[in-house]
Parts: sequence; structure tokens; C-alpha cells
Amino acid sequence: MLNYVWLGLIVIGVLAAAGSDIYDASTNRYRNGEQFELQYDSTSATAAVVSYSKQYYDRFYGVHIEAKDTLSFPATITRNSMQIKLGDTTPELWQTVAKTADDSKEITATVVKRSGNNILILLPVTNLVRTKAVLDAVISYSTMAVEIAIGLIGVMAFWLGMMKLAEDSGLIRIIARMMRPIMTRIFPEIPPDHPAIGAMIMNIAANMLGLSNAATPFGLRAMEELNSLNPQKGTATNAMVTFLAINTAGLTLIPATAIAVRAAIGSKDPTIILLTSFFGAGLATIAGIAAAKILQRLKVYRFDKTSPENPGVAEK
Amino acid sequence: MIKDILQSLSIIAIPLIIAVFVIYAARKKVPVYESFVVGAKGGFDVAIKIIPYLVAMLVAIGIFRASGAMSIFVGALSPLAHLIGMPPEALPMAILRPLSGSGSLGLMTDIMKRYGPDSFIGVLVSTMYGSSETTFYVIAVYFGAVNIYRTRHAVAAGLIADAVGMLGALLICRILFGS
Repeated sequence: MLNYVWLGLIVIGVLAAAGSDIYDASTNRYRNGEQFELQYDSTSATAAVVSYSKQYYDRFYGVHIEAKDTLSFPATITRNSMQIKLGDTTPELWQTVAKTADDSKEITATVVKRSGNNILILLPVTNLVRTKAVLDAVISYSTMAVEIAIGLIGVMAFWLGMMKLAEDSGLIRIIARMMRPIMTRIFPEIPPDHPAIGAMIMNIAANMLGLSNAATPFGLRAMEELNSLNPQKGTATNAMVTFLAINTAGLTLIPATAIAVRAAIGSKDPTIILLTSFFGAGLATIAGIAAAKILQRLKVYRFDKTSPENPGVAEK
Repeated sequence: MIKDILQSLSIIAIPLIIAVFVIYAARKKVPVYESFVVGAKGGFDVAIKIIPYLVAMLVAIGIFRASGAMSIFVGALSPLAHLIGMPPEALPMAILRPLSGSGSLGLMTDIMKRYGPDSFIGVLVSTMYGSSETTFYVIAVYFGAVNIYRTRHAVAAGLIADAVGMLGALLICRILFGS
């Protein structure tokens, strides 16, 4: 199924980008080649404050923006061109114009005509906005993937070291034994004394406490242990999928990130979501385990020990 | 009271776990330094192993997000959202949550800034954020670490869990905070 989701994300993305760009071009959304009129007040020989009314902008682009009646921006003007500095109040279309011209802070426009305090400008030609954004995304997301992975090395090494300590000392086995009645029911295929059980408990416990950077190394250790029981490398086992379903549900006693953001924005009661998100994630966990257990019996998903072990074979 | 306990628990948990692990290992006569280093060696291999899986997943999600296809999905699903009483502002959150952790974090922040963190929508989106994990990231990393490419029903089960989590968040917020 992951094959189809992956394909879908890429195909839908590319088609949507192309469609949106074709639509923009046919309606000339960015008014390429049309002159925009600004009022300006010189503050020095080259510096000025330029402004336009919201009504004019709305009429020019055929939109309705939410803004003050008059929008003004600092600018530098030379004989033929003008750099308009953008700020938080800049309307979205202008932000896009700037971004597509590879500069998110200012727009470089051509000055067509000046008369008194009025000035006519031509904004840079803006097209293929979405296509360019998709190209940027390919580069920036692949770089980000490597940065995330590299960034994990240190924390991963630390917690895997801790995990080894707990394995060697037998602590994991003690913890695993306490949780055995529950774990044998959720993971009937795994022998109750197998180290995978201990690692999975450590992962779930770390998640519950909101220690997400400890939870991942524990979880990956658990996956290695589960994979040692896997008769067909490269294919997920039932236990792995169930374990993943628990992890993707993200059950936690302390949704630390959400609370921190709420507090930062100035909530009167940042922790009000403790109970509600525990409820939501609790339902998600139950649903995830149930879905994994039911779906593993379906023919398309059934674990087939006889299928060949090469990566070229498509997953269903 | 319970909130305070939970919050301090998450702060002292790490030092406590470290102390318990090290002291217990020392008592059991495990050569602690040696044992730690042997375990920590795996950190590098795991991080390198997940790179191709993470690149594949994140690039596909990046293309999808940058293309603006999200608004098509929001448009297609909004009648359904209306039917179950989900505010239209919260719908992008439900779609983005399983795809992108940083994206949904940004969206949650954005919505709370606009509507206020203590408004119904603010509480709802932060509950939604806390009710799920970034499913596709978890799948890429966990399966990547053990070179699993045939994921069978993992995506389906993960997405079912997400959908239930989002609906559960909506349900409990409507019961407790009404709207």
C-alpha cells in the first residue's frame, strides 16, 4: 500500500502544481505586464515610502484581501528601478511574486513613469509558481531528510548505549516480565522471554512519558529484535505492524510539544489538552491495534513465507 | 495537582532513568563503560540506514505540500467534515498530521495565533496534534532501520489509527468544551 500512497503523493503533487500554474497563466493571476500605480513620499534622495490603497489592490488583482485601508512599504528608488521591502503586512500575492523571484524580502520592480507623487511600476514577471515551489521542495526536503538522520546519531548512540546497559544488567528482562500478561496478548507470535518484548515496553514507556528522543532508539532496537524473528527479511511481520500501529497512535501522558506551543502563545491553561489528547490518542491506539489484527488476516496483506526475497517485487 | 505531577514527571524522568540504568548495571557487575560503548556504536549505523527511506518519504510529502494539492483535499473533504461537525479551519490539520510533523506543528501554531489558544478551535487543533504521531515518518524510520520495504498493512493500520485519533479529539472537545 505504501507504493500506492507514495506514487499518489508524487503524481497528485505534480499534476496539482501543473494545473494550478496553467490556471494562473490563463487568468493572468499575477497581472504580468500590467502597470501598477503607487504613491510615494521621498525620505531622501533614493529612499521613499510607497503606498497604495487596499481598494486599488483588490481591483487590480480581482481579489479581496484583509488589510488596512492603506498599505505602505519602505523602498529604494533609482531612475529605472525600485526595490520594495516587504513586511508582515504584505499581501499574499506580492509575497509570492518576491518568493518566485528568489528573494523573500524585497521585490525589484521596473519604474515606467513618474508624475508628481504617483509612480507606475511593472512587477517582475511571475509564472510557474507551483512548479518552482515543487522543485524547491525536492531539494530542500531531501536535504532535510539527511539532516534529520544525521541529527539523530548522537541521541541514538546515547540511548542505544543506555539500552545495552539495561539489557546486560537484566533490567529489561525484569520490566518485560512485569508486563508479560498484556504483551503476550498483543504480540502472540513473540516468545514472552524474547528481548523484543523488553525493548517494545521501553519504547512505549518512553512515549508515554513524552520522551520522544529516547523512544525512537528504543523503538528501533525493538524493530531489530523483531526482525531477528522475521523468516522473510524485507517484509513486515504481524508483530512489527502492530508495534508500528501503537507508535503511530502516539499515546502519551504528556503531549509536551503541544503544551509548550500553547504556553508560548499565551494560553491561560496550556495543560487543558492533557486529558483530551490522552483520550484521542487512547482511542487511536485501540483502533490501531484492532486494525492491525484484522487487516493481517486479509488475503492481500497476508504474510506469505514463500514469496521471493528480492526488492524488485511490488508490495501489495 | 495531577497536571503538576505529570509535568514534573516528564522533567525528572530522563535523569532518573539514566541513574537507575547505570546504578543497577553497576550493582550487577556489568562493566558499565564498555557495555555502553558497545551499544552506542549502533547509533551511527541506524541513522545512516534510514536515510534512503527518509529521503523517499519526505520528498514525496514535500512535493505534495508545495504543489498546493492540499487545498484540493480540503475542498473534497469539507462536506464530510461539515457532516460530523468539524470546523473547516481544523480540517487541514487532520489531513496534515500523519504526513508532516513540522508542517502540522506550524499549522497548529498558526491556527492558535489566529483564533486564540483557548478558543474551541485552538483547543481542538492542539488536541488533534497531541492525539497522533506523524505516521509516515514513523513508518519510514522504523521500517528503514531494519530494511523493510514490503510494509503490508502498516500504512492502512496507521491511517485508521490517525483517523480515529482525529475523530476522538473532535468528540471529546465537543463534549467538554462544546461548540
